[in-house]
Amino acid sequence: MRCSSYGLIIPGSESRFLTTTTTPTTNKKPDRFPRIYPTSVSFGSLKVKAKLNDAAGGTATATAVVDESKELSFYDLLGIPESVSLVEIKQAYKQMARKYHPDVSPPDRVEEYTQRFIRVQEAYETLSDPGLRALYDRDLSMGLHLAFSARRRQQNDDFQVRSEWRNRWQSQLSELKRRSMNKDAGGNISWAARMRRKRDGLSQEL
Amino acid sequence: MALSAFSFPTYVSKATNSGPHKSSPVTSHFFGAALFSHFSHKLDNHQIQLKKRPNGVCASLSERGEYHSQRPPTPLLDTINYPIHMKNLSIRELKQLADELRADVIFNVSKTGGHLGSSLGVIELTVALHYVFNAPKDRILWDVGHQTYPHKILTGRRDKMHTMRQTDGLSGFTKRSESEYDCFGTGHSSTSISAGLGMAVGRDLKGRKNNVVAVIGDGAMTAGQAYEAMNNAGYLDSDMIVILNDNKQVSLPTATLDGPIPPVGALSSALSRLQSNRPLRELREVAKGVTKQIGGPMHELAAKVDEYARGMISGSGSTLFEELGLYYIGPVDGHNVDDLVAILDEVKNTKTTGPVLIHVVTEKGRGYPYAEKAADKYHGVAKFDPATGKQFKSSARTQSYTTYFAEALIAEAEVDKDVVAIHAAMGGGTGLNLFLRRFPTRCFDVGIAEQHAVTFAAGLACEGLKPFCAIYSSFMQRAYDQVVHDVDLQKLPVRFAMDRAGLVGADGPTHCGSFDVTFMACLPNMVVMAPSDEAELFHMVATAAAIDDRPSCFRYPRGNGIGVELPPGNKGIPLEVGKGRILIEGERVALLGYGTAVQSCLAASALLESHGLRLTVADARFCKPLDHALIRSLAKSHEVLITVEEGSIGGFGSHVVQFLALDGLLDGTVKWRPLVLPDRYIDHGSPADQLAQAGLTPSHIAATVFNILGQTREALEIMSFKS
Repeated sequence: MRCSSYGLIIPGSESRFLTTTTTPTTNKKPDRFPRIYPTSVSFGSLKVKAKLNDAAGGTATATAVVDESKELSFYDLLGIPESVSLVEIKQAYKQMARKYHPDVSPPDRVEEYTQRFIRVQEAYETLSDPGLRALYDRDLSMGLHLAFSARRRQQNDDFQVRSEWRNRWQSQLSELKRRSMNKDAGGNISWAARMRRKRDGLSQEL
Repeated sequence: MALSAFSFPTYVSKATNSGPHKSSPVTSHFFGAALFSHFSHKLDNHQIQLKKRPNGVCASLSERGEYHSQRPPTPLLDTINYPIHMKNLSIRELKQLADELRADVIFNVSKTGGHLGSSLGVIELTVALHYVFNAPKDRILWDVGHQTYPHKILTGRRDKMHTMRQTDGLSGFTKRSESEYDCFGTGHSSTSISAGLGMAVGRDLKGRKNNVVAVIGDGAMTAGQAYEAMNNAGYLDSDMIVILNDNKQVSLPTATLDGPIPPVGALSSALSRLQSNRPLRELREVAKGVTKQIGGPMHELAAKVDEYARGMISGSGSTLFEELGLYYIGPVDGHNVDDLVAILDEVKNTKTTGPVLIHVVTEKGRGYPYAEKAADKYHGVAKFDPATGKQFKSSARTQSYTTYFAEALIAEAEVDKDVVAIHAAMGGGTGLNLFLRRFPTRCFDVGIAEQHAVTFAAGLACEGLKPFCAIYSSFMQRAYDQVVHDVDLQKLPVRFAMDRAGLVGADGPTHCGSFDVTFMACLPNMVVMAPSDEAELFHMVATAAAIDDRPSCFRYPRGNGIGVELPPGNKGIPLEVGKGRILIEGERVALLGYGTAVQSCLAASALLESHGLRLTVADARFCKPLDHALIRSLAKSHEVLITVEEGSIGGFGSHVVQFLALDGLLDGTVKWRPLVLPDRYIDHGSPADQLAQAGLTPSHIAATVFNILGQTREALEIMSFKS
């Protein structure tokens, strides 16, 4: 979901994004931002979105370009047809990178070019990996133009599933602890309960 | 050479942490040209193997996709000889240990062959178990035992891993006589919970305080014995931990020849639903709040409310185990060392738990991409090349008896639409995956449930179908009462195809099919036969298909055929029941073989030709009913009659001598000697070594002949002659 992509921020670091006007969809550099999901994901995204709109009030053109490039598929971003080999993808990426890199972009259009550059880089990362590219092509054919790469989305799903599992077994463990308090109470007549009582009784006598 | 040194830097920076290959371009200057070429060669190899990782350097070995044909560097694993050496490691170091252990397992199995996929799936679990628990005082049981390679590495047997499954080497399964860390001998499945409960109860009776952990897979969980054990565990309420290793692999392989199939059985879908169950967290919170309010002095009521809420929201599946009396925890990510250690620690430190079941989800073959992608998940492999995953399979002239059986059955089923096949989670091992591909609706995989398979076949036979039960000889032991009571007593025409009869080589005594002749031939209504080569196998499949008024069985060994001509169209011709054949006409001494032992007899007679003895060699074909005419003629016209079989006492030889005695043939001049498997278990090793230990090689047979004839010198000579 496009909405939730904005939610991928560490709550404490929101101030970071206020100083720059680049969008907070910072999953382009995944190793810098750990993928921690705050439990109240929705709140974070709403807050930031609101702040972004405020900050971006004066740079309407920037956001317009940004919005536009969001709609482009990875192939369009790199300016290549869909059936190209890795070599051509690499060439196209290098061209685009040279054009849109913040250091060489015209000073008045830095933000939008940086934006573009980030997207181009993501496009290259996805398309240069044959597995990811296959997934992306499949999504594309189904009509989904996501700024996310498919693998990350699946990883996120995996992550969500795993964290749900974690919550579940954590509560199961605490339940186990609670039950064990009453396990050998007088009413329990199972064989092992009797043995345990006998064993504990003996050790107490000692 | 000097120029090439400057091209190194970009590559070297990517290949950090690779130990001996680390070299800065500056220092390499001083070493001279020879070393340059050495380094460049090694780094070139690395270049081929390095996968592109756009996100930077990955420190772990297997993630980098580097598989070494030399021993992989394992600095942390080198410091661990026994689990006690792991106790001071941090969680981060445990993860590194897991990665190194994985690389070590891949390297070891690539050199010896063995079970790879299952071992890879439990690396993290093994590390967590040995970290949290104190083996051998704490008992850790592994069901089946084929996933214990990492366990063996961590428990003092790392230096012997190169002898895995070889003569006088490590056993491929757990074995009590091998190490004190192997609590229980395994090989057949679904025994760990039963044994674990026994150990837990024994501990309670002796007043000890150790932990008992039984690891069982979801495939082994399809066997009845697991439920018998859980039912009893729930009732006795003894403290123990059962770890359900769920990797959705129920059969071997859980795939057809054309791709993966969903696991057989309703249990697997229940377990999947458990994994995908999204708990209604809010309802849970409400339930907790309610119990908190009720809490205080009203313990029992609070417990009841909690249990009710739990049953309401945790859905199906966990209630199965809960109803049996085991406390369910899970599902847990089986490849996350943090989670595993946390849970095991918590459960260990809880004073009284009763039986607990921890549902751990793993992936078979995890960490080795070729295994992850393979249909059989590299369950059992020959020696292979780690970098490419290609197995070194020697090309034989002939195919295995298993394949011939499958082809024979397909040929029968083409002609007769009543022929159906049943197996117990061994589609690959019994060759019935071939049958499944040809007749998808006539092949039944019942999961690891041999007892059910036999009675299921009996039910099919009642309806007029022709069921062929393909079960390994040693696994048939499980279903013996069903064979006797449900099939033989009622004289139902079920056909049993017993693969892996006789000695089986690397799998050892747990899989050895020594007893099937004995326990099948003593049944009143059973027809018992054995082919001496693959053409005979085709004929016997046809014979079994033709026998429609009583049960029948036939046995064939592991291994390949000898290379005789096969019947046209793979369709055998039914043999006359109770008739053997004479292969070589001779005098004085007759060798009467049963099954593939006939080939050893033929080889022995060839050995004796050079000594001027011409023996008679006969193939009995049938153990029940015996070919009385053949035996009478052999006994009357020869001085010596030797019966040879690859089975235990009480089998073919015993039936022959029973007949000889009752017929008065022993009152004359003939001397009878049996050659059977010795009265002890023969350890794993190469088939040739095992046969030599058993005393059934052609040399042994020839020596026996000489000994009876009084030519002891020649007997010794032939035994010491290494052919």
